[in-house]
Amino acid sequence: MTAAARLVLLVCALATAASPLPLSAQRAASPTAASNSQAATTARIVTAAKAVVTSLDEAGRRKVQFPFDSQQKAKWSNFPSGIFERDGIKMGDLTAAQKDAVMNLLSVALSRDGFQKVRDIMRGDEVLKTTDGGRGGPRGGGRGRSGPGGGLIFGEDLYYLAFVGAPSTTDPWMLQFGGHHLAINLTMAGSQATMAPSLPAAQPATYAFEGRTVRPLGRENDKAFALINALDEKQRGQAILGYRVSDLVLGPGQDGRTIQPEGLKASAMTPAQQTMLLDIVREWAGIMADAYAEPRIQEIRGSINDTYFAWSGPTINGSAAYFRVQGPTLVIEYAPQGSVEHIHTIYRDPTNDYGAKIAKR
Amino acid sequence: MTTGRRLPNGRNTLIVVALVGLIGAPLAAHRRDEYLQAARLDMTLTRVTLELDLTPGIAVADSIIGDLDRNRDGTLAKLEKDAYAAQVMSAIDLELGGRVLQPQVNAVTFPELAAFRRGDGTIRIEAAADLPSLPAGDRELFFRNRFRPDVGAYLANALAPQNDRVTVLAQHRDPDQRELTIDYAVRGEPSVGLPWWVTGVVAALALTTAFLLRPRVALGG
Repeated sequence: MTAAARLVLLVCALATAASPLPLSAQRAASPTAASNSQAATTARIVTAAKAVVTSLDEAGRRKVQFPFDSQQKAKWSNFPSGIFERDGIKMGDLTAAQKDAVMNLLSVALSRDGFQKVRDIMRGDEVLKTTDGGRGGPRGGGRGRSGPGGGLIFGEDLYYLAFVGAPSTTDPWMLQFGGHHLAINLTMAGSQATMAPSLPAAQPATYAFEGRTVRPLGRENDKAFALINALDEKQRGQAILGYRVSDLVLGPGQDGRTIQPEGLKASAMTPAQQTMLLDIVREWAGIMADAYAEPRIQEIRGSINDTYFAWSGPTINGSAAYFRVQGPTLVIEYAPQGSVEHIHTIYRDPTNDYGAKIAKR
Repeated sequence: MTTGRRLPNGRNTLIVVALVGLIGAPLAAHRRDEYLQAARLDMTLTRVTLELDLTPGIAVADSIIGDLDRNRDGTLAKLEKDAYAAQVMSAIDLELGGRVLQPQVNAVTFPELAAFRRGDGTIRIEAAADLPSLPAGDRELFFRNRFRPDVGAYLANALAPQNDRVTVLAQHRDPDQRELTIDYAVRGEPSVGLPWWVTGVVAALALTTAFLLRPRVALGG
């Protein structure tokens, strides 16, 4: 080999070594079994979404479909119908077969636990319709109130489905499903997906159904109380905020904002405590289908040392306490609305809300 | 001066634990009869921007509408909106290191009056103040909201700075979040230079070239 050739080879090697793209990122870009699984999940969701479209008449098709770059993406809320008017197809307007198609779509798009959580939240709203569970509620939420035209505010019929962008295995689109105390915004782009921002909430937070006690956000609550009580005094001193937090800070309408993180940094937690923290995160990140959720949880695990856990309120389970988990790609807030029976939560990824990172065309 | 308004961290925590029990009672009945006032503060090198979202609960909506719609004609004229925003801002204190700042309102948005009665009406006010020119170093920004304390429920947060020369060091609040002190640091301008890896490649190239082109001595056999 000539000196000149050796020089060229050396320059190439040095340039590669000096590349700002880490090797791990280069490896991640190659096709893997995981991304195949994610692509297969997207394909199943697209099939189920198309089945919904096929089941609709022309008017229904027009109602369910929105352009990907439309404002519909950000049109979601914790409020019930009558206060906040949603677009899309309304469950109460669908036939039994059409409802089945929608629920099948959700069961494919969400994990088993995630789908159950959605069902429990919707069923809770049905309970609210028939009881005075809204009595202690927030702005709006009382019994017997009715929306414009006298329609009921609460109930399982008042949930809406919309497709923002046409269901596709390659192009970005969003499955949006929501109603009172629920906003699922699942953006897919080929094999990638994000469920940020989404808002699972509950009122009543505990109710009886077919002889069993249902707590739609019970695991979130219990896991957080377990973690705050697993911290030592010094850690708890850092985690507990010195003030009352009366609502979500980054709830609906707060897209694009990132607040300064506070609380206990997970780098100051033991491995066991970090595992507990990730287990809390899983309650939100794990709502979407497992194939999407696992890489998301790995991503959050990768930045666990830069993730914070903050708490405001009593530390005895059964009390109303606010908590927040915040990392470079994550914000979770859990905010009781005056009592343990009325909970709002939010899940965000400040780098990837509405698929900002994955949906670039 | 802002020093003395905040409590040491450890004391804060103890007080919170004690307050939590006290908070429990009003917490159980808040929302409908409260006026949620959420403030966010965004610091840059030269200015601070305040975003304020004001959302009255249903039970206090008529009182807020009464303050807003002065002529009771059922609509909000620009004059009425401006007057209300000025009233809000007159109850806001903002100081940098004890120096009083005068934030100017940049934008206000008001919902329809009916939205207040539904409970989802939010007034948004954005105001900003230029910061005095100061050398690099630590800063202390103090914010206080004195607006409608009779029904107010408050949130106050620093936004994560977008400029990497600005770093939030700590936030201190009173238990109701009516007061927020933000300790932050401003770094000096970094010296202009090439990225480290470019410097490394150039240095390695120079060494390699020198090695390959070095004078060689023929070895005798």
